[in-house]
Amino acid sequence: MTITGAWVCLLAPLAGAIAITLAGTRISRRTAAYISTLTTFVAFGGALVAFLGLWATDHGDREIVSTAYTWLESGDFRVELQILLDTLSSTMMLIVSGVGGLIVWYSMGYMAGDDEERRYFAYMSLFVFSMLMLVQAGNLLLLLVGWGLVGLASYLLIGFWHHKPEAVAAAKKAFVMNAIGDATLALALVLLIWETGTLTYLGVFEDVDGLSTTTVNLVALGLLGGAVAKSAQIPLHTWLPDAMEGPTPVSALIHAATMVTAGVYLLVRASPIFEAAPDVQALAAILGAITLLVAGVIALVQWDIKRVIAYSTMSQIGYMFVAAGIGAYGYAIFHLMTHAFFKALLFMTAGVVIHHLGGEQDIRKMGGLRGLMPRTHLAFLVGALALAGIPIFSGFWSKDGIVAAALADGGALGYSLYAAALVGALLTGLYTFRLYFTVFRGEPSDFVKEHAQEDHGEGPRSMLIPVGVLSVLATIGGLVAIPGVWEPFLHWIDETVEPTVKATVTQDYATSAVAVTLGLVGFLLARRAFDAGRQLVTGPAVWRVLEHKLYVDEAYDALFFRPAAALSTALRRNVEEPLVERSLDEIGAGTLQVGGEVARAQTGLLRTYAIALAFSVVVLVVVFVAVR
Amino acid sequence: MLTTALILFPIAAALVVAILPLPRETTAGLALLAALMEVGLWITAVTQFDFDDGSLQLGTTREWVESLGISYSVGFYGFSLWLVGASVVVFAAAIGYALWAGRERTRAYHALMLLLLGAVVATFTAQDLLLFYAAFELMLIPLYVLVGVWGGERRQAATVTFVIYTMAGSLLMLASVVAFGVTQGTFSLTAGETSDNVWIFLGFAIAFAVKAPLFPFHGWLPLAYREAPVEVAAVLSAVVSKTAIYGFIRIGLESFPEPADDLSGLILVLACAGLVYGSLLAFRAPDLRGVIAYSSMAQMGLITVGVFAFDDLGLDGAILQSVAHGLVSASMFLLVGMVERRCGTSDVDALGGMARGRPSLTTVVLIAGLIALAVPGSATFAGEFLIMAGAYDQGWGYSVVVALGIVLAAMYTLRVISAILHVEPGRAVRKEALDLRPGELALVLPLLLLLLGLSVWPAVVSQSAFAASTLAEILP
Repeated sequence: MTITGAWVCLLAPLAGAIAITLAGTRISRRTAAYISTLTTFVAFGGALVAFLGLWATDHGDREIVSTAYTWLESGDFRVELQILLDTLSSTMMLIVSGVGGLIVWYSMGYMAGDDEERRYFAYMSLFVFSMLMLVQAGNLLLLLVGWGLVGLASYLLIGFWHHKPEAVAAAKKAFVMNAIGDATLALALVLLIWETGTLTYLGVFEDVDGLSTTTVNLVALGLLGGAVAKSAQIPLHTWLPDAMEGPTPVSALIHAATMVTAGVYLLVRASPIFEAAPDVQALAAILGAITLLVAGVIALVQWDIKRVIAYSTMSQIGYMFVAAGIGAYGYAIFHLMTHAFFKALLFMTAGVVIHHLGGEQDIRKMGGLRGLMPRTHLAFLVGALALAGIPIFSGFWSKDGIVAAALADGGALGYSLYAAALVGALLTGLYTFRLYFTVFRGEPSDFVKEHAQEDHGEGPRSMLIPVGVLSVLATIGGLVAIPGVWEPFLHWIDETVEPTVKATVTQDYATSAVAVTLGLVGFLLARRAFDAGRQLVTGPAVWRVLEHKLYVDEAYDALFFRPAAALSTALRRNVEEPLVERSLDEIGAGTLQVGGEVARAQTGLLRTYAIALAFSVVVLVVVFVAVR
Repeated sequence: MLTTALILFPIAAALVVAILPLPRETTAGLALLAALMEVGLWITAVTQFDFDDGSLQLGTTREWVESLGISYSVGFYGFSLWLVGASVVVFAAAIGYALWAGRERTRAYHALMLLLLGAVVATFTAQDLLLFYAAFELMLIPLYVLVGVWGGERRQAATVTFVIYTMAGSLLMLASVVAFGVTQGTFSLTAGETSDNVWIFLGFAIAFAVKAPLFPFHGWLPLAYREAPVEVAAVLSAVVSKTAIYGFIRIGLESFPEPADDLSGLILVLACAGLVYGSLLAFRAPDLRGVIAYSSMAQMGLITVGVFAFDDLGLDGAILQSVAHGLVSASMFLLVGMVERRCGTSDVDALGGMARGRPSLTTVVLIAGLIALAVPGSATFAGEFLIMAGAYDQGWGYSVVVALGIVLAAMYTLRVISAILHVEPGRAVRKEALDLRPGELALVLPLLLLLLGLSVWPAVVSQSAFAASTLAEILP
């Protein structure tokens, strides 16, 4: 029953995607939307059954592997289609299918009337299936399959409005940067095959102690490369802001709640490997800390409502990387979950706003929406409070747990991470409330008055109910891990991955006091700036550097894309065309000419063949003479 | 017996098609029927084949010229059975495409295609070197004529270049065949004779390197793939190129274990060079055919890396990838042909925006393209992963190059997809350009369904390509 639930969870969305694809235009757009939503909720039901079944199992037995068949086999090497159900994967299944179901449902209203709605829902279902494959996989190759397929679905959905050149370019960029991560991940797997002979998690983790330091470090680096690319951490982060070209529910589902957190899942899932390679694990934490600061600063200068939230996502995933990097695995997953709630909520309320304003995303044109959209305003405020880590909202519990763990970790690294995380808390307060005030407070702008569609209300029910559910979750979703009082969530995750660092209750509450203060300072500064009509970042030079995302895109362009393109063109011009393609032009022409003179009735073709045959006889004679 | 039937049936069908004075459509239909029956014959062969048995199966051996040690000997091993399977399926699709496109001089055209099919099957099954040579040569003659007569504007130049390159390779191979026969006293491949003569090996290796083609023996490739009728290009890239892989394994590795081992470094470097070089040129080729042509070269480099990895992972991966690439490259070429017929060009700049209002074309191009770029979970991914893992045995650098190849493949294949489907319609894309019609879908969908099936269960090929006893024989 338990494991059947897990298989249903995995396969229901796939069935949905296939059904919609095969049905084509025979079903209405609405039916396609219902199929997709329903199958995702069926998956959630399956996940729930699996979770409850696991809950009812004895402590030691909460690790079930179920194998369907052998997917790939060569010699002694075999990879099976198998799922691993344990406390970690069951939690991820609930998050993915639950939040996924809500967002697909929301899409029904958001995408209503689009030309290619059916294709959209087929892609969404494909994505949910792939993401479930990623978290349920029982071995690393299957994880890589899910890993690649979520990247594929992301490519398809970012480029969903395929007539827009920016959307297509963004989709390609996302795919290629993720392919780089896929490649390093695949190389790590190759090493593991040769060193341990298996790719199953349990098999690899057993053998990990026997590996040499170099090997473990290389494997961990390969995995980290994949995680960094997928989770848009520095230095492979530039694709995420561009990915906002896709429809807003896509940003909510893929680029906030689920796919981009896959890197965190991998760091936690493969923690035995990372613990054997402590330097690489520390590197993950450092990259996370850098990302959370840089993305937090860049978020201050963005004008596009979705891009602000996208940079916030990068920054929050940075927190999760810090947690996974210092060994606070439970908190990494906890923040992953609360972030899925409040970030999906923020994107979805942003979507409602964008919808309401006829597709406008520039916050300079917004303002004063509080009065016009009271329910949306409230939902957004909940999301903002959770994001900024204000007490009792979900983000408060999870983020402060990470900051406290950094303090508990201690040492130069721990204290640096602690400082970075606290600065990050301030930045979060700043960019979150800059966005909130600009969009919702003040007087309605002219643009808003002109475009606000009165009859439109705040969107259809299919959009408002998911927003409502997520608002509740973003508010109370953090109450499953109250330090020192009630921590069932952490105990649940700890069963699969034992944390290597744990903050004391004193450290927890002391950290919270500081972090909340910093969040509130951020709020107040943002408010003062808004009241004064100022921006938070002043100085045109700084602004320009930040607006260009520290010129990383330009640097990659100059360092990789252009040289590759130039090399390619140079090879074609200087090697392929003159040396390879034209090598025979003269010989060919000569042959034709000779042939033409000998017998005009025949084609040059046959003559070439005859000449060649004559040559062959000569060569044969030479060979015979030489061999005898 | 069944092997002989698989060789002779298409040749006999070619004769029938050539002789019977039937109307055009009937002739082409007859050819398609023959190709489909060939697929049926192959399925029969699969049902009778025992994949655990490493010896030659379904074969026939008759002494031919006893005094010289020449015999008519044909039969199947697991891996050749899979290669033939990919071939017969691709040929059926290609002949179907020719029927749909309505090639001129129908009888000659279809007779040549069927003859080519017979020659390909003979090449994959020959167990005597002279027979192999004869079959290898027999493939070339219909190809020369198909490109030279039915090709595009520059077909003459394409054919001449193709003839010169392949003839040069063939001559070297003929010399090697004779030298092998003379030194070993037999031409039989089943006698288990091995040679340690590097020069004889090189003759074979260069012939296969031209056929594949490997860098830098690919001079014939850009013109031939651009000028050939599109279904002939499909056959060239999907099927004919794989005879080189077959040759590398069956003759290179099995009959020349020592020279193959000694020179594996050189071949691996050339294969890797071809993988990177082909990928880079594909990335900037100005036309769709060019992209697919160079990507095919890159893929052949990759598969060759698998062969010369000298381990079961690499070899199994090479066969899996040969089958998968055969199917996907044929699909891509046929799709490009369908786009060309609508737009009159395959220039990347002139195309685009075809996704809107053409759901069938969109779906099919996306599936084919995404499998071509080896998205994880696809059969091509499984093959590439096995090759990447196998190559590690020869040096980690080769695995890294294969990984680089995966990233480059993503870059050039996404370019193809976008060039056809995305952004605003290009200047060659007219409103009247229709979506794929059922007839066209019927040509491409079977290939794609096979690929999807193979993606769900790649082990069906990888685990049965080589029986354990065969591998023990091949590998050092």
